This record gives sequence, structure tokens and C-alpha cells, in this order.
Amino acid sequence: MRDADLDCILSKEEEILPSSGFAASVMEAVAREAAAPPPIPFPWKRAIPGLFAAGLVLAFVILASIRLLVHNPSVPPIPAEWRTALASIVALWRTFGASWVVLALVLSLASVKLSMHLATVHGSRSGRI
Amino acid sequence: MSAADDEAAVQKVLAGDIAAFEGLVRRWQGPLVNLAYRFCRDRSRAEEMAQEAFLRAYRSLNRWRREAAFSTWLFALATHLYCSELRRIPARTVGLDDIPEPSDPRAIDGGLEQKDQDRAVRQAVLALPPKYREALLLFYFHEMDISAAAGSLDVPEGTLKARLSRGREILRAKLAQRLLTPLVRKEAR
Repeated sequence: MRDADLDCILSKEEEILPSSGFAASVMEAVAREAAAPPPIPFPWKRAIPGLFAAGLVLAFVILASIRLLVHNPSVPPIPAEWRTALASIVALWRTFGASWVVLALVLSLASVKLSMHLATVHGSRSGRI
Repeated sequence: MSAADDEAAVQKVLAGDIAAFEGLVRRWQGPLVNLAYRFCRDRSRAEEMAQEAFLRAYRSLNRWRREAAFSTWLFALATHLYCSELRRIPARTVGLDDIPEPSDPRAIDGGLEQKDQDRAVRQAVLALPPKYREALLLFYFHEMDISAAAGSLDVPEGTLKARLSRGREILRAKLAQRLLTPLVRKEAR
């Protein structure tokens, strides 16, 4: 079968007509949508401090667990390779100031979200979207 | 109604006149329902999908960038919705290998019922992998206008051409296999 045959078959498609009540049904749905209260926006302002605190707690817990595993001999023995790997992770964390890196990432994320929010608000006010 | 009328209607809707949206629905209901029908081959599902497309268009009217025509934006929105819908709940189709053989295989190049052949080709298109199926459906819906089809799918024209080419290749191979197999069987008897 050649391209021309495919073109010929697929071009001549039967047209269907929407049912008589289709437009009315769409407008009913639109009216329902318009009457519904606007969705409540996610409270970022309140959530960000909480998320930040949760992130810090999580990081603290992970660090504390690693320290416990590496330094406490009463903890059930873990393979020597794991211990070495964990110790090197802790050393790297300290060497490169990973806490500052995490803080910088969080601040970057926050600034990106803020600029996107400002751009959206500005766009909808100026009507150019 | 023209593109300028579309824009005026959109302005009215954005200003709070919901009734103005009906003009847009009446103008574009035919194309949107037909496009949905090509995706699912089910009239009632096509209307449901088109209604959802209009509803989404209403919700996001303020995101229409006026650099493109309203129809371009509307088709892109509808296409995106139809593609996701079909990926979520596929149309009731048969696999390429399960397409029924024509009743009279001798007639492939001559007298095979044209309707049978058309049906087999359309079923084969619906059974293609999604990216090729969508490219072919949009290309023929937009009357073989590459630019319009690429706009609706939101892909570069080159990508669309490549998908069309690959899609046709798969179709040709599968159809040839399906249509020739009965002949070979018959000759072997």
C-alpha cells in the first residue's frame, strides 16, 4: 500500500454531528463551574516555615542515625564497607559544609516559587497571558 | 464567526459574561467532537471528551496567549486532553495482528470491498503506538496541514514528519502482512 492510498483512505473521514443537546449540556457544565466557589489556594506562606523545619528535623535525624551507627559499638554490627562508606559520607558532609548547600538549595527553591508567583499575579493583572 | 469574533467572545467571558461562551461552543463543537471521535471511534465518548475539553478551555481562557489563533489554542488543549484520555482508557480497538482478514483476499488490488479495506486501515491506525497514532490522526484531521497538526500536538514540524513517516511505515508493513497472508495460505493449499 502506497502513501497515496493511505492518504486517500484516511482523508475521507465521515463527519459526525454533535447531538442537539450538546451545546446546552456544555453550557450547563460551564454554569455549574462558574457558580462553584473558587478553589482554595495552597497556603504556601504558612506551609514554607513548616516544610523548612520538617526538612531540618529530617536532616538532623539522618545525621544523628549515621553518627550513632558509625560511633556506637553497642549497635548491632554492620559490615565494615558500610561503616567506611558512612564515615566517608559524614566526613564529606563536614568538609563541604553540606548544611550550607542544603540551606542554599532551599532558599533557591523558595525564590523560584516566589518569582513564579509574582509573574503569574503580574501577568493576570496586565491581561497578557 | 471569525477569529475576531472568537477573541471578542473570549473578552466577554473573561469580563464575566458566561453566556458569551455559548457562541464559542456552537462554533467549535463540530470540530472538537469529530476530532474526539477519530481518537475513540465512539460517538458518546467523543461527546463526553469534547465537553470536558470545552470545560477546560473555559477554566483556562485567561491563559490563551493571543499570539496564536483561538482555534489553535483550543485544538492544542483538546488534543492534549484526548491523548491523555486515550492513554488512560484506550479506545476499544483490536491489535494490529488481530485485524480481521478481508472476506475475499483475491480482491486486494482490485475488487476488495473498499469499505472493508478502509475499516482495516482505520483500525490499524488506532492500534498503532500512541505517538504515531496521534501524529496520523491529527495530520489527517487538519487536512494534511503539517504546521496545524504540529501546533495541535505541540511538537516541532520535523518531529511530526518523522512520526508520520515511521507511523506509515509500520502501517504499511502490518497491513501488507495482514492482507497478503490469506493469499499465501490460499496458494499453499
